[in-house]
Amino acid sequence: MKKLLAFVLAAVMALSVCLTASAELAGTYDITIWVAENAVALTEKQVQDFNATNTDGIVFNATIEAVSEADAATQMITDVEAGGDIFCFAQDQFARLVQANALAKLGTKAAETVTANNDPATVAASTSGDVLYAYPLTADNGYFMYYDKSVIPEEDVDSMEKLIADCEAAQKYFAFEQQTSAWYLASFFFATGCKSEWKTDDEGNFISVNDTFNSPAGLIAVKGMKKLVSSPFHLSSGSVNEFNSGAAIVVSGTWDYTAAKEILGDNLGVTDLPSFEVDGKEYHLGSFSGCKLMGVKPQVDAVKAAALHKLAQYLTGEKAQMERFEELAWGPSNLADQASEAVQANPGLAALIAQSPYAVPQGQIHGSWWDIAKVIGEDVKNATDDAGLQAALDNYYDKISSLFTLDTSALLFVGAWNNWNNADDTDTYYLKDGSVTLDVPQSDYMGGRIVNPGSWDTDKGFQQVTEGKELIQDLGEDIGDNNIVFLAPGNYTVTWDGTAITIAAN
Amino acid sequence: MSEATAKRHMGLRASRTVSNTLIHVLLIVISIIWLIPFVCIVLQSFRVENTGPVGYIIPHQWGTGNYTRLFQTDFPRWYTNTFIAALATAALQTVIVLCMSYTLSRFRFKMRQPLMRFMLILGMFPGMLSMIILYRVLKDLGLTQANAVPGLILVYVASSGMGYYVSKGFFDTIPMSLDEAARVDGATRAKILYKIILPLSKPIVIYTILTAFMGPWGDYVFARYIAFGTSAGKNVAVGLYDWLNKDQISNCYTMFCAGGVLVALPVTILFLFLQKYYVEGVTGGAVKG
Repeated sequence: MKKLLAFVLAAVMALSVCLTASAELAGTYDITIWVAENAVALTEKQVQDFNATNTDGIVFNATIEAVSEADAATQMITDVEAGGDIFCFAQDQFARLVQANALAKLGTKAAETVTANNDPATVAASTSGDVLYAYPLTADNGYFMYYDKSVIPEEDVDSMEKLIADCEAAQKYFAFEQQTSAWYLASFFFATGCKSEWKTDDEGNFISVNDTFNSPAGLIAVKGMKKLVSSPFHLSSGSVNEFNSGAAIVVSGTWDYTAAKEILGDNLGVTDLPSFEVDGKEYHLGSFSGCKLMGVKPQVDAVKAAALHKLAQYLTGEKAQMERFEELAWGPSNLADQASEAVQANPGLAALIAQSPYAVPQGQIHGSWWDIAKVIGEDVKNATDDAGLQAALDNYYDKISSLFTLDTSALLFVGAWNNWNNADDTDTYYLKDGSVTLDVPQSDYMGGRIVNPGSWDTDKGFQQVTEGKELIQDLGEDIGDNNIVFLAPGNYTVTWDGTAITIAAN
Repeated sequence: MSEATAKRHMGLRASRTVSNTLIHVLLIVISIIWLIPFVCIVLQSFRVENTGPVGYIIPHQWGTGNYTRLFQTDFPRWYTNTFIAALATAALQTVIVLCMSYTLSRFRFKMRQPLMRFMLILGMFPGMLSMIILYRVLKDLGLTQANAVPGLILVYVASSGMGYYVSKGFFDTIPMSLDEAARVDGATRAKILYKIILPLSKPIVIYTILTAFMGPWGDYVFARYIAFGTSAGKNVAVGLYDWLNKDQISNCYTMFCAGGVLVALPVTILFLFLQKYYVEGVTGGAVKG
């Protein structure tokens, strides 16, 4: 039922894209928009502006609800039908929303405009496979360093070792959330060039990961981390309120700027992250750079959908983003806005820009990664020697690889011949740019399916078989997706070259 | 009294003093631990120099700013929602539970035992299991999101008949001969309930009202699910919790504490006044099940 609904909605969406150019959009629409609490008033005004200025005769009766961007996906997935027509969310929820069919694809023209006018990293964050699903709203979700100028001399801010020494001398804390947040602790790994890159397909499913945290470079990173977390004046926190309770340095983001300014006043220093030294070599701390996105919910009414896309485009356009920067200090993703003097002069955004050469755009990351990776912080703190540090990385790697298949370009041919075991430990029937030989015993059901290891969903089935189709039968969707049944028992060789499957009888 | 017995008496008294002191010290320590979170919340709600979470307890500047700010948000609406839901549930559920208990305690009808057993088994399934299907039903009735309050009342009251155990136990302790005497004098079954049984079971009635009121008052899971995405349908628990989101906490934390205090207030007052009955109710019903 859900699939059918998704299909209908998708079809309607596709139709709406075709109709956009020709359909008459004039009319009054009742819609719901979900934005962050502090943006409610501004969004109300912006919708009014849109109503007054658009040339299509569109009038929106918008109900603006305050729904936290950190929580939008959970709320949306509760019941997509009843969710907001336009909603804002932090990019980490993107894949979940695409999978839930809660995001409508952008039309070709809209996609072109968005791609041309926005920061490429934010466009990448709105893309799954090759399809653009959302409108970039901000590009300020990164972190940098706030410090107390009365404690930290300005010449020391580039060296983590000096900063730690300053804090210890002044009995003040260095707050950098290492024990409880993968988002912050990735900083050390990015410094030494490690990466954790995930790939998604057009439907938002994760298909592969390239993760190098467990490597010689990763060991250097945890050695650097160890320096910080073993200091008695390290505090695992990412809130500038720590300035109230004895911190001299806090690593946090633009959202904390006003609060930090209020606490420290003229003593507030803002700059990019420092470097740390391991074995005589300097590494500049990296960071995640992320963004917030605005999405349009798939609609049954094609005309309304087209009108909504117009509104979303307006709400994420140059003017609206500038207004948001001026009123809420949200860093724009729009390239023209980014280049404007006012944005360049904002201290928080300036620090973010100074940090940006070392920042890694936060692409699509699997939801479980955050919980797996954050354990490294505690493990590193408890480690007593290099072996302990390596163990922390091994532990991380084991968890990643036991949950996900690190190389999902491989395929697994599962069936009666391997007891339907689709874990990647069954090397025997593991196809990776090569071939396997299998005995298909005589039985009532000599079937199986070709899947990515660890998953039953993303089949590579009958369609991929280029040679040997006559040996098998496609059961189609009646029995799951593309089940394959061998017509006769025997010994077969199955070859996979990355795109096509060949089956031969021996 | 010989010297030896006197000594032994002294020793006994001394040891009793020692053990009493120890017990009291322990109780004081436990109550301090128990009270610290509440004291913290009350203190934080009066902190005005900073609206985010901080690392100290005693505010540097005191004021009622958080409470006045609270009333500029949707909080009054949430409070009203919660209050209406709790009040309606308390009234309806009490009536249903008491009627149910009275029936099961006094009437002897076919299927009485199987019915009770059936409800016992039904009660073992956690209510959360039905959440999604309930949501669909309520949505079709138009009782979600902005109209969540009637929907929630429906959910809270729907299964209340099954919570008859304690009050039925209490009714069972009231002698049947009272009923019979009343019947002889010409009282109807209903008259017996409200003229004889209810006046004799004041503690259990109050206990039923209190528990019925407390359920909706603190509910989060159902309320969040049914009122999702709309401020107008939230109850206090959901509304306040949303203020703890990462993008709001530094602005709303002290307001959250102030809201917490206001939520706790009516319940605390209610319990202070009705505590006597509450304890009687809980233990009274347990005497004979």
